[in-house]
Amino acid sequence: MQKDPEGFEKKILHKFVDFSNKRVLEIGCGEGRLTWKYAGAPNLTVGFDPDQDALRIARADSPYNLREHVHFAQASASHIPFSKETFDIAILAWSL
Amino acid sequence: MVHALDEIRRTLKTNGTLIDLRPVESNWLVEISSSAGYQLAGRLNDMPVGLADDEAAFKAMREVKSRGWYIKEKEEEFAFFYYWDMPSEMKEFMETEWEDFEKMDESVYRTAQSLWSQANADAQVRVRVKMLITKWKRA
Repeated sequence: MQKDPEGFEKKILHKFVDFSNKRVLEIGCGEGRLTWKYAGAPNLTVGFDPDQDALRIARADSPYNLREHVHFAQASASHIPFSKETFDIAILAWSL
Repeated sequence: MVHALDEIRRTLKTNGTLIDLRPVESNWLVEISSSAGYQLAGRLNDMPVGLADDEAAFKAMREVKSRGWYIKEKEEEFAFFYYWDMPSEMKEFMETEWEDFEKMDESVYRTAQSLWSQANADAQVRVRVKMLITKWKRA
């Protein structure tokens, strides 16, 4: 199975948001399928998901050059373990 | 959901951006796609769980908008395709992964099989998922 081989999701996401040098929070990142479509641009990306197995895959798939900028954690949006006004962008990734 | 949107708001900077990206139920189309173009095989049936999830999400966003937490800036629909090499793979996926959200009538499956078998050798079966992306500004 292939998902979005045309890359429509990536194109529209970048049309809606300029990720350059931003701090990004992704809620419901899962295995990081969406994360890798933008994570090269922000200064920091934090992906949350309650599914530990999915996060394990996301970490394993992390491109070497992005490992310092992209972090994954097991959590949900009901309690985000960051202080106020930390992020420039939050993405609800198929998760609302 | 409203509590989660409040928690997200807390961690966003003032005038920060919230992107809500998700599929919405709308009897998604089943199509046969090849180098020659595509043909419609039929539509899937939305299930009550998926429709209820959509309604809850829209309700939550209406609520946070009315509370003045977020301001809607931009919204667009687009297509997101799932592709399978043959109809049986699509059927298996739907029965295991989408069983609560989408059902496929046997007639649609048979039409997909028939169109696929008559199409070019590179034909695949796909589902056209309706996606919605909305950009919100944190107030």
